[in-house]
Amino acid sequence: MTLNSFDLEILRHKTVAAAEEMGLTLLRSARTIYVREVADFATALVGLDGKPFAYPSDLGLSAFVDLDLKATLERTGPLREGDVILSNLPYANGGLSTHLPDLQLVRPIFVGGELIAYGWAMAHTSDIGGGVPSSISPRFSDVYQEGLQLPPVRLMKEGRMDEDLLSIYLANCRSPETNLGDVRAMIGALEAGGRRLTEIAGSHGTEAILSFQTALREYAAEKAKAVLRQIPNGSYDFRDYLDHDFVSNVPLRLKLRLTAKDGTVDLDFAGTDPQVASAFNLPTAGERHPYLTLRLLQLIGTADKTVPMNHGALSSVTTQTPPGSIVNPDYPAACGVRHAVMLRLMDLVSGALLTACPGIVPAAGGGTVLPVVLAETDATTGRRKSAVIQSIIAGGGAREGGDGVDGRESGMSNTRNSPIETTEDAAPVRVELYGLRPDSGGPGRFRGGLGLVYRIRMLKPDLAILARGLERFRFAPWGAAGGRSAPPCRVILNEGTDRERDITRIDILPVAEGDTLTFMTPGGGGYGDPFARDPEAVRRDVARGFVSAASAEQDYGVILTAAGDVDVDATETARADAFDRAHTGFDFGPERKLWESVMDDATATRLNAALGHLPASARTTRRRLILEAAIPALAGDTLSLADSLRDPGAVRSLLLPLIENLEAEHGAAA
Amino acid sequence: MTGTGQWRIGIDVGGTFNDLVAENLATGRRVFHKEPSVPSDPSLAVQRGMTGLLDVAGLAPGDIGAVMHGTTLALNTILQRQGARVAAVVSRGNRHVFEIARAQLPAAIDFTHGREEPLVPADRVFETEARIGADGTIVAAVDDAEMDRLADDLRRAGAEAVAVMLVNSYRHPALEAEIAEALTRRLPDLPFVASAAIWPEAREYERGLLAALNASIRPLMGAYFERLTSRLGELGIDAPLFITTNNGGTVSLQTALDRPIDTVLSGPAAGVTAAIDTAPSEAGDNLVTFDMGGTSADMSIIAGRAPELTSAARVGDFPIMLPVVSVTAIGAGGGSILWRDAQGVLKIGPESAGSDPGPIAYGRGGTRPTITDCYLATGIVDPARFLGGRMALDGAAAAAGLAALGRDLGLEGDEDVAARAAHAGLRVATAMMGVDLSKLLARRGLDLRDFTMVAYGGAGATHAMMLAREAGLSRVLIPGAPGTFCALGASIARIQRDFVASLGHLLGTGKANAGLPVKAALDRLSQEAATWARGETAGDAGAPRISAMVRARFPDQAYDLELEFGADALTRRDAAGLERLILDAFHDRHRTLYGFEDRATPVLAGLLRVTVTIPAERPASPRPEPAKTVPTEHRRVWDGAWLDAHVLDRASLPPGARITGPALLEQPDTTIWIVPGWTGEVLPDGNLMVTQDAGDAAPGLRRPAEHAS
Repeated sequence: MTLNSFDLEILRHKTVAAAEEMGLTLLRSARTIYVREVADFATALVGLDGKPFAYPSDLGLSAFVDLDLKATLERTGPLREGDVILSNLPYANGGLSTHLPDLQLVRPIFVGGELIAYGWAMAHTSDIGGGVPSSISPRFSDVYQEGLQLPPVRLMKEGRMDEDLLSIYLANCRSPETNLGDVRAMIGALEAGGRRLTEIAGSHGTEAILSFQTALREYAAEKAKAVLRQIPNGSYDFRDYLDHDFVSNVPLRLKLRLTAKDGTVDLDFAGTDPQVASAFNLPTAGERHPYLTLRLLQLIGTADKTVPMNHGALSSVTTQTPPGSIVNPDYPAACGVRHAVMLRLMDLVSGALLTACPGIVPAAGGGTVLPVVLAETDATTGRRKSAVIQSIIAGGGAREGGDGVDGRESGMSNTRNSPIETTEDAAPVRVELYGLRPDSGGPGRFRGGLGLVYRIRMLKPDLAILARGLERFRFAPWGAAGGRSAPPCRVILNEGTDRERDITRIDILPVAEGDTLTFMTPGGGGYGDPFARDPEAVRRDVARGFVSAASAEQDYGVILTAAGDVDVDATETARADAFDRAHTGFDFGPERKLWESVMDDATATRLNAALGHLPASARTTRRRLILEAAIPALAGDTLSLADSLRDPGAVRSLLLPLIENLEAEHGAAA
Repeated sequence: MTGTGQWRIGIDVGGTFNDLVAENLATGRRVFHKEPSVPSDPSLAVQRGMTGLLDVAGLAPGDIGAVMHGTTLALNTILQRQGARVAAVVSRGNRHVFEIARAQLPAAIDFTHGREEPLVPADRVFETEARIGADGTIVAAVDDAEMDRLADDLRRAGAEAVAVMLVNSYRHPALEAEIAEALTRRLPDLPFVASAAIWPEAREYERGLLAALNASIRPLMGAYFERLTSRLGELGIDAPLFITTNNGGTVSLQTALDRPIDTVLSGPAAGVTAAIDTAPSEAGDNLVTFDMGGTSADMSIIAGRAPELTSAARVGDFPIMLPVVSVTAIGAGGGSILWRDAQGVLKIGPESAGSDPGPIAYGRGGTRPTITDCYLATGIVDPARFLGGRMALDGAAAAAGLAALGRDLGLEGDEDVAARAAHAGLRVATAMMGVDLSKLLARRGLDLRDFTMVAYGGAGATHAMMLAREAGLSRVLIPGAPGTFCALGASIARIQRDFVASLGHLLGTGKANAGLPVKAALDRLSQEAATWARGETAGDAGAPRISAMVRARFPDQAYDLELEFGADALTRRDAAGLERLILDAFHDRHRTLYGFEDRATPVLAGLLRVTVTIPAERPASPRPEPAKTVPTEHRRVWDGAWLDAHVLDRASLPPGARITGPALLEQPDTTIWIVPGWTGEVLPDGNLMVTQDAGDAAPGLRRPAEHAS
């Protein structure tokens, strides 16, 4: 590299700070609740090749380090000083957006007439039109329902706002003032970044900035590769599941083959289920995408805190995504709730990494984020207003050397919760219980982090609860290395009364005054043999109400005295008696075992291959019809597979001919 | 607030030294003294320091009118988790409130991060059925049988102190007080702290935590204050004792005993107070403080000569929602360690050598070079004169450590490797500090060019001009005694305390009496505040001044604007006038921030904070001590090349003297490094103003006479 290493380090600090200043500028003046409360925004400085070289270290979303402006820049052609590009359509900006409310702005940075970099800013705005307020519903089947589609267009031309374009945009938003505020905040952020980088170029020279972009990426690449070399050479398969696609009751499978070779990693998602007719698709444009590589980025950032967070960190990673699948859907598949897929992708990559290298990452986390929205009709205006009253997260997965985090999970947006008092002040509910959910962590030598339990009582009539992206009701967060899976998610209406009812999916749930609704998020999976857990740790868990005495005995083989102390002798005996726990691998929980007794890897892969001959948009319906024909219970809404899959052999004898028929259709067609 | 004596004493307790200052209220004369800390018995160090100070200043105990004490005892007790074993009583359903906290991890990307160990683990948290609704009505009252059971639970849990926190108590503090009383009757030896009595603001975790922290540190603080009072008594000092607080003010010993949590972040706040009060008009109204010591560095933004208060401060793992002077630790301090990574790049920190073992030059076993070692190896600091020669440093060892690192980094040659490595370290560290400063200002939308840096702490004046040069600031103010500036701040601090009330009222609805509840709350808090203030001084001080802050927002928005109102704005306003005042301020601010205003929509006033201050008499500006004539020396300093720097004793410079860099000014508590292209001028009050030269100024010293000619 032409820069000396001191200047590299100095420029690193300065450019990362410039990217952070952009974020601070955005944060200071943005108006949407998503930016202010959930930190759903991001900024970066991007090199001439469209890949970021400076990304904030702890501000806004950490998820987009691996973004690529290539598609955006190709679409717009050469930019002039003062141009600002706006887009939100994943299918037109190369997956830069992942759903329509995320606005993407790009502005070239010129110094002395020479293009030296791009500023990039993104924010989740309040609304972009479409079928529901805030523009996201799991029910939507295509992006036309999700709001205004914006391919990369010039919002500003040489410093002048295109007022016509702006008024079309604002006319399509339910909250034009808020959105305009956000757009202005983003433009302000881009200008701040441009100003700061110009200043830096003034003291270090434009040539230094240009060679720095490459040098810093190479530096990051070298460090990251040293981390990824920990993964032994070889190919490692893993599968994980989403409960269903919301509009049917058929499980969805994500599949990965991770191939590692001397610090390079290939992620091949072949065998992943076809795109769905609901909002669970993740448009990646078939390119390496931040959501596909996020878990690897976290691995790198955890193992070496000095790795500069830029595109170079992932330069030895490649990805393959089957066209027409959930992870690379065809236009115009809906994508509003792609977040649920992203969370499961994290588990998927974790599982493959653990298969390759025990201990390298934690077991599965609770893997769900549960934003509880309360809708109420204003008595005077008749208008319905809704507000997020709590974002309930799950517990973290346990890892070699440490318990999972209780009631918090890394890799999520990592924003603060809503205090009970704030919620009760803003909404007609009483929060009767907000605690860690006992016995919800997967047992293990290192216990999975506990999920949360949250119970609200409705204090007014005519309320409705909205919750989207609910997951892990059916398939449990898995344990690793002998650690056990965690109990799945539950939502219960009027728990403990004769009107008690399990709610397994929510779009809009009407509730009456006096009703209670109890949300229980999953804990994380356990790690290592629970009978090897330090009895003192089990005792402390029981004392704090994290683990019941019954679970201590059954799951951990730890017997406590009436006073709550460890009964050393009884514990020793109990642990010696446990001869049937010769379990050292993953524990996926009962439902997955049942499902795979019918849909084993070979069958599922075969079905997907046969479906691959159909047009992408037709696959999900056909898949559903085949599975519902073989397993009639899937046409209902019961989540449990226990009754319908009691005789796997019988189900398979129905299923396989259906798959053969499908294969024959194409044979005939060919 | 003073006794009969003319002298006021300020004391600042640090990790390595206790700093003391005596200030004569009549003449403005100041005397400074440093005394090594005694971590095992902080009161002993104060006693020794006081003896030393009286000796240096030639004072008798009776000359002392007041002792203003800043202590880090509360801070250290919390950081080291050495407080009393605290238990808590909370509303049903809330047992895990201290475990859940705000459900946030310290870093998003690092999956090895755990959550913090809670201050009150769930096995010491007990639930009561007593519950308050969001509107302040009682949903479930206190039950006697339940109190018996809770008393048993608390006894069994081995509680040494108890916090009581009911959901929504900020709207109805009496219910918590009732529980605290009921339990005190059953457990008379246990201290109970009710959360709303400490700070009645919404957010149950933060409020409960304040109560628990206060309960946990009170016993230790009480014991310390008792020892301190008796030790000062042994010296014959019976002047009243005041303790500095988080908001930059000070309170009586009795208030500090009740509310030790108010003192936890007082140390850095005192420096900010000193900067505001002692910076001369030449410095302007916008200041940024740069407090750099042997181990860490802090900055604070002062816009318009008012300290910035934050309600988002943290102590270790814990959020402090009380108003605290906003001070931010920055990326690199004197103890930050220099190292080389696997790719051969020089890195600084985040690891710090602290004060033990400290830098290599301290000779206490430190083997890895730090920023402080870099000052020695570049020639900026003279190892023989550190702290006026009271602490000998090993400059050769520092240079050897840096030379080894330099060679490891690929620097070639022999002679200058240590200096070049040290210079590279200072460049990287300065860049890190510079970007932190930029971000502090960016966060607030402020322009750096409007600010003067006030540099203090043992190394503040050493590094300030390097930082200013890097960050683009053109003015740096160096106080007369930067090494003991926080002690001066303690002695200057005014009696001050904050009071809060949660509102939740709509303004601008067009209804006639919309402003009444806010007016009622303002009157109630003002009265409470004034009563408290008069009690602090036994009535012999000036009239209390009341200022206020209202937090307001549009009802459908999630973010608040903080609106400040001075005493002048508040006096003699009726409810309608107050409503207008708040609405105007809100809409003005909204326009500034968001570019438009919406006067048709009502505004929700969420919180009222009232601050009471007792104006203190300020002495005349100190007259600098007569200048001694000391010959100018020279020392070489590496700043990219060897430079020949003038070395002067700061005490030899009379007001009006100008010194153009490269130059070093030595004084007992610090070394001032004036970089090339910058010039220092001694102001009439003894402060040194260092500014970037407009043109080419010849290096060296110009005395006032020469300057005039």
